[in-house]
Amino acid sequence: MILTLHLLALALYGLATALTLAPVVGLRAPPRALTIALPCAGAALHVVAVSQLTLVGLAPALSMLALCLVLLQLASERLVRGSAVGFFTGPLAAGLVGLALLIGLAPGAEPSAGRNVWFILHVALSVMGLALLALAFIAAALYLLQFRELKARRFGRVFQLFPPLERLDQLNRVALVAGFPALTLGVLLALGYAVRFAGGLHVGKAQIVWGMFTWAVLGWAVWVRVVRRWDGRRAAFASIAGFSAVLLVYLALKLAQPGAERFL
Amino acid sequence: MNDTTAMGIKVVGVNHRTAPLEVRERFAHGAHEVPGALARVMAAGAAGGVLLSTCNRTEFYLVAEDEAVADAVWGLLGERLESGAAAREYGYIARDRDAVRHLYRVSSGLDSMILGESQIQGQVRDAWEASRAQAGPVLHRLFQSALHVGARIRTETAIGAGTASAASAAVAVAGKIFGDLAGRAALILGAGDMAELAATCLAAEGVQVTLVANRTHERARAIAERLGARALTLDEAWPHFATTDIALCSTAAPHAVVTWERVGAVIRKRRGRPLCILDLAVPRDVDPAVAQLENVFLYDIDDLQTVAAQATARRHEAVPAAERIVQEETDLFWAWYGGLAVVPVIKEFRSRIEALRAAEVERALRHLGHLPPEDRARVEQLSQALMNKFLHQPTVALKAAAEEGRGYGLLEALRRLFGL
Repeated sequence: MILTLHLLALALYGLATALTLAPVVGLRAPPRALTIALPCAGAALHVVAVSQLTLVGLAPALSMLALCLVLLQLASERLVRGSAVGFFTGPLAAGLVGLALLIGLAPGAEPSAGRNVWFILHVALSVMGLALLALAFIAAALYLLQFRELKARRFGRVFQLFPPLERLDQLNRVALVAGFPALTLGVLLALGYAVRFAGGLHVGKAQIVWGMFTWAVLGWAVWVRVVRRWDGRRAAFASIAGFSAVLLVYLALKLAQPGAERFL
Repeated sequence: MNDTTAMGIKVVGVNHRTAPLEVRERFAHGAHEVPGALARVMAAGAAGGVLLSTCNRTEFYLVAEDEAVADAVWGLLGERLESGAAAREYGYIARDRDAVRHLYRVSSGLDSMILGESQIQGQVRDAWEASRAQAGPVLHRLFQSALHVGARIRTETAIGAGTASAASAAVAVAGKIFGDLAGRAALILGAGDMAELAATCLAAEGVQVTLVANRTHERARAIAERLGARALTLDEAWPHFATTDIALCSTAAPHAVVTWERVGAVIRKRRGRPLCILDLAVPRDVDPAVAQLENVFLYDIDDLQTVAAQATARRHEAVPAAERIVQEETDLFWAWYGGLAVVPVIKEFRSRIEALRAAEVERALRHLGHLPPEDRARVEQLSQALMNKFLHQPTVALKAAAEEGRGYGLLEALRRLFGL
């Protein structure tokens, strides 16, 4: 059932992505309702599938990350008519679901009742935080591309299909400012969970150091945005630096400790 | 040579397809320059002329037989090129039916950078008005019919559907920077029609036009009152580049007025807030170096017209119907124009042959006095039938040739052969 639902969701995400990308390759844009309805239907099936997972391990985390990305894509479409966000979130979400299926998704044993809330909150906040930071990254990338095209007075597909600069800036701000505390809280819940239920922290020194580094970079990106009131291009670069730090540190730790299943 | 019916119609000029903006702005003629330019070209042998000069084209419509008038036009335009380049390298010539068809396409917006844009209709009218003294009867008729054709095509087809003008493109470009335009502040430099049109489009999107600056304060005040803004002189406007969101420039200045020196320091005070500068003027009002300032987005008329051109997909569907009307109206005009020359010649030709026939029949009948009246009538009828038979084919061929634009050679031959 979980596999079937994931496969259906993947098919719907794939179709929605293909339709969303159609104008990028010069084909006629599909009706907006269709590009919203397809990921909506996919997300509905995906929610049912995720609700049956224990959320332990990489594959469920990837599946949930994909779901969060799709939900944020739909929210972006609604809030800033940022359908171009789907150019990135669509393939990313479909890829993550595909990867989760390849790694292996299966219903696991139910965690004990006491741990359940902690654990679900930890995973939900961490994954949503990451998804928001990814959205901030995407909005920043779209901003920089649109900025470059507008500055260079090129009026091609980027000009036509990407949202206005200020909307992308606004989306970047909201996603970054919401994503950072969500991720921070998710990590704090993980610490609390480890101390309360797992008998203390079982992480290496490198993970702590690099985790703190990543947190500091993200914190700086939020600080310059909120306190120093950076916006536009500088804020986009800061946001990209923050998410790049998350990705690079994750990949570095994964490569350094291939067996580790921790998300960060 | 003032017999315009024996002359051809020509259009000699450049447009947005053949010449870049830098060249077009040099070739642009203000209304005060039109009579002098036309006088020079007409001195080369034209019997009538109209000069249509817009930001997208400079075209001389001429009634002339001699090709020397085209050389006169290229010479006149070439004087405006500093590089010493030949003006003809940027231009084109269309003759007779093609020239008529060209003007009809121009007036209906089929030849515009923004397909179907309606501003050209007014510009054609203005050109005709400005050249009225030198146009002559053929061009009067041609421009009158061109306005009719433009109006007909806009009424009967969707060529003017949507808002694909430079002014609406200005709104689209500003929208790509700011998203929601409501509440944004705009500063207008220049008090021309284009500035007012674009300002009106921006105001319709909720932009607050707060300041109107112009070289003459009175003109600025007139527009400012209409837009609910404050009037300034140009020198008072520069500090406001620190606060405005959109600057719309459309002065008639012959050189850039918004320069790095004037606004560079002021714009740096914006602390990175985007500034959209829309330069609708030809020649351009804004020094291109200003675009290098951080978060300044500068667009000139070519940029805006490029954007607007993208909004014309729907208008393209109306092109075949519009082209059919152009063809139909060109045929009508050419039939009239051909008729100008052919009808009098045919009349004269027929009356000359009729006189010969009548004289010969009368002479013959004098020798046939014994014939009864009904036979005399039969001879009369025979001569008339023969004459009609002989004249039918040449008349039809002459009219057809005239309608196809090939009548002048035949007319000349007829005149020589029959001493008309």
